[in-house]
Amino acid sequence: MVTTDEALSLTPRSWLKSLARGERKRLLGSALCGVLVGSQTVVVVVGLAWLIDQLIVHDRLPIDLLPVFALLVGSVLLRAAFQWGHETLSLEASLRIRQRARAQLLDKLSALGPIWLTSQHSGSLASQVVEHIDTLEGYFARFYPQLRITLYLPLLIVAVVGWLDYLVALFLLLSAPLIPLFMALVGMGAERLNRDQFVAVSRLSAHFIDRVRGMTTLQLFGRTSAAQQDVWHATDSYRRLSMRTLRLAFLSSAVLEFFSSVAIAVVAMYVGFGLLGYIEYGPSSSLTLFSGLAVLLLAPEFFQPLRTLSQHYHDRAAALGAAESVVSILNQPALVSERDFIPPLLASSVIELTAVSVAYPVRGQVIGPIDLTIKRGEVVAISGASGSGKSTLLALLAGFIAPSSGEYRRQENSQYAWLDQQPCLLHGSLIDNLCLASPRATREEMVTALQRAGFGPLLTQLPDGLDTLIGERGVGLSGGQAQRLALARVYLSNAPLVLLDEPTASLDQETEQFVMSALLELAQEGRTLVIATHHPEVIAVAQRHFAFNKGELVEAIL
Amino acid sequence: MSSIFRDFLPWLQLLVRRRQRFLVGALLVWVTLIAGLALLGLSGWFITASALAGIALAMGMPARLDVYVPGGGIRFFALARTIARYIERLYNHNTVLTLLADLRYRVFGYLTRLDDARLHGKRASDWLSRLTADIDTLDNLYLRLLVPPLVTLLGVVAVSLFVAIWLPSVALLMAVTLGLLWLLVTLFAATWGFSQSYQQVVDQQSLRRLVVDQVQASAELMSYQTTQWHRMLIATQEQQAFGNQRRLGRKAALLNCLVSAVSGLMVLAVLWLASVIFSQQLVTGPIVVMAVLIALGVNEAFLTLPASFVKLGASYAAVRRLNEFTGDPPSAVSAVTLPNDVGLTIQANQLSLHYAQTLEPALSRIDFQLPAGKRAVITGNSGAGKSSLASVLVGRLRATQGEVMVGGVPAWQLSEESRAKHFAILTQQVDLFDASLAENLRIASPAASDNMLWDVLSDVVLDSWVEQLPKGLATAVGEKGQQLSGGQGRRLALARLMLCNPQLVILDEPFAGVDAKTAQHVAASLDKWLVNRTAIFFVHQISSLNLLPGVEYHWDLDAGKLSQCLSE
Repeated sequence: MVTTDEALSLTPRSWLKSLARGERKRLLGSALCGVLVGSQTVVVVVGLAWLIDQLIVHDRLPIDLLPVFALLVGSVLLRAAFQWGHETLSLEASLRIRQRARAQLLDKLSALGPIWLTSQHSGSLASQVVEHIDTLEGYFARFYPQLRITLYLPLLIVAVVGWLDYLVALFLLLSAPLIPLFMALVGMGAERLNRDQFVAVSRLSAHFIDRVRGMTTLQLFGRTSAAQQDVWHATDSYRRLSMRTLRLAFLSSAVLEFFSSVAIAVVAMYVGFGLLGYIEYGPSSSLTLFSGLAVLLLAPEFFQPLRTLSQHYHDRAAALGAAESVVSILNQPALVSERDFIPPLLASSVIELTAVSVAYPVRGQVIGPIDLTIKRGEVVAISGASGSGKSTLLALLAGFIAPSSGEYRRQENSQYAWLDQQPCLLHGSLIDNLCLASPRATREEMVTALQRAGFGPLLTQLPDGLDTLIGERGVGLSGGQAQRLALARVYLSNAPLVLLDEPTASLDQETEQFVMSALLELAQEGRTLVIATHHPEVIAVAQRHFAFNKGELVEAIL
Repeated sequence: MSSIFRDFLPWLQLLVRRRQRFLVGALLVWVTLIAGLALLGLSGWFITASALAGIALAMGMPARLDVYVPGGGIRFFALARTIARYIERLYNHNTVLTLLADLRYRVFGYLTRLDDARLHGKRASDWLSRLTADIDTLDNLYLRLLVPPLVTLLGVVAVSLFVAIWLPSVALLMAVTLGLLWLLVTLFAATWGFSQSYQQVVDQQSLRRLVVDQVQASAELMSYQTTQWHRMLIATQEQQAFGNQRRLGRKAALLNCLVSAVSGLMVLAVLWLASVIFSQQLVTGPIVVMAVLIALGVNEAFLTLPASFVKLGASYAAVRRLNEFTGDPPSAVSAVTLPNDVGLTIQANQLSLHYAQTLEPALSRIDFQLPAGKRAVITGNSGAGKSSLASVLVGRLRATQGEVMVGGVPAWQLSEESRAKHFAILTQQVDLFDASLAENLRIASPAASDNMLWDVLSDVVLDSWVEQLPKGLATAVGEKGQQLSGGQGRRLALARLMLCNPQLVILDEPFAGVDAKTAQHVAASLDKWLVNRTAIFFVHQISSLNLLPGVEYHWDLDAGKLSQCLSE
């Protein structure tokens, strides 16, 4: 778990680096396997060159060279095995890293708490937790190990080439200083290309989604076919624009391609003329078909790691893009108190507030200072105009937001029930939705709770009873039905403290009446109720009534 | 298998329209591949020929080797490969983007036919979040699954035919091995990884749903102290997804491993066989080396295939989701139009609306009558069925029972054009587009002059605000109108509506988020504009009732049931 200070200073790069550190061994192992794959390739091509030399120039029979053939078969198989190791190790590393990154992000979401989360679009948060984290796959599974391979494998190849013919090695080494240059070139080219493309593509997708989202309006104004044309034109003009930049951007990879082709051509010419005896310089007179073929085949291998790297470059750009959006969440200051609760001074109190005020980072002080003691078994109503701070007070009591000053005392680990005007339905069965309040409840307890909440008649209609899927993917519930289900959670939980935020707003009359009587019932059970409401009937039920007046909490005398 | 093909078919047909681009693109990739092989093969031939000639010369034997033609060839192929690669990348990128435009155009076309229930109903957030990703997946089909296997196959054929000129048996060995390898990395890989890559998409959806739950139910999870319980659910789902991905990844790795092993062994086999033939002096040394090097180089064409093909299932998942939109063609045989300049009466008897998968009807047995040119208000809580009723009244949704008659014509049979012409509807959720203020207004009337725009803006008291904006009417409203406050957005939408000349107006919460003073002014403008039009207001709060000008009828909607309130 990262500490807050560290989390605040995260950058996309530092975050990716810290993730990689957690799987250093596997990533290194994968890179090592990659280098070993390359080294086996060296063995295979050098072996091939030797065999060819023996067979063609020295007229030996294949059967005489069987041991060497067998050796090369072994080498080919070994290379395949290393290939397997390279891929599976980086796969495993990427899986574990993603798991860790996702857990980190989910932890952060919990620390930010319901207040922050409701201000966000849940769909885009889910995209960050699911898709954006998955986008890291390519970076860790492919780009990261390949970067290490690119640093070491060319050195190995140049050493072998140097042993065979130092002029060719010199030629490769001369291009070696160019390699960092080209890496930077490719890097910059690819990075700029990827960044621009990333931005342009997401802007274009946003344009498309924008039109789809507004489909109703387009239909209402009879503008759908115009918008359809518009979608085509937007994409097509993006195509024309991006083709202009791509013409340049692809040059960087073409240069790499050119180098690898030219290396083959140059080496072939040099070796050919050397073998013919046209070159009388340095090692060229001692060239054989063996050494000539070997360096010819090794020359493109020298550039191969870099070519592979440039193919994986978009993985990096995508990962950086995703990391940026994830880090922006990780850098948010936590709203939920990370400290343990202080127990109340009096045994009869459920919650005690002493000079507590709440300030949101941007808006400044919202409510407070407030002194409030809620005793066991009390029914407390809190009223006030919308925006006066009653929801904030309720969130404070629930621990969704930490007080910025003052003292907040509550029993630690005490469960409490929560009910607001928009009850949340989980994607899943009725059981899942009830487990939310009490994961260990039995089916009988669930049925009882549902019946008490007035859900009983409905339950008999449901095709699979408690196992019926509800919500988006199953049976749709009306607002009133959903509120009854939420009420069933309250009954099921047996939580001594119940916090209710406008529980009767936006309900049909029948359900509203039902919820009212349920509140009375809960109070009679001896539960402590704190209700934020503007409903006069609810206020009438309460034993104590507080009203917000210009940010101050005033107790009304009943 | 055939059903899978059937699902892909409509999208492949889109490609057929661009077949020329497709073929040229494939040809360019093929030329790149062949130029690379030729470069390697010719170099090998040249070196070996040089070596043999050099040895002969050294031994004082007469030997001749034309170095200029092969030398020129080597330079030519080196350049050709580079240039072909560059052109190929540009060309194919262009094709992919052209296809993207085609695909979006087509998908958008399907979406324009969806009704309100599909657009805003269940799972709307689900499909919307995946839509562009699904289209991109299809788009990638071209560069990942269509061009590479075709080029590889053609490459194998070309290479085998070429080698067969001198070494028919070696060519046969290569053709058979590479042909089988091709089948392995395409058809077999696709089948082998199909269910897992399909599952991967399903897993991602499930995980997404759980995370949405975690976010939306955060208050409940925190208060009931069940966050850890729910995190366990997520962890379990993630474990399952990762297990699946691990298996899929290992399959791809194993296939890569096989490609590496088989192609390596084939090279050795080619060398063995060719050298046996060479020892019988049926072929020259340079040719042997050329064949071996070509065999060595051809494996490059296979490298990307396994990873692409094991993921076919994911593409299939995308295709299936997109096909869901094509499934229901417009059911209305609508040819009905409304007469012009006639006040429209609305009449509905025993109207019920039942959404699929819900237990209770959204609307039940509603009787409603509004004479032409009159104004009515319908109050109701959120969730009471106001939006459903509005959609049914204008025929955007068809009632399960009963029928709505507007101007004597069944509302749901109206053509979309006719509806757009005669009705104006302010929806509860205002859609503003990521464009300028003027463009947003001109959705209602593309030909409207700037003066007309300023007129309607002053009707909704936005004119002075727009005037002080540096860019005036050209100010962008941002995605979903984010640059505007909620009240400003509603007023802009209202102004947009006032550019039309409808006979029936439906306003869902026209004053939401608008302060009282402004609302008074807007109400006065509305009063003027609504003269001689039939109008229905839907409002949540009774308090806005006194804002509504000239309303003679008042109904209340509660849990899908409509009851008349006595006019005060």
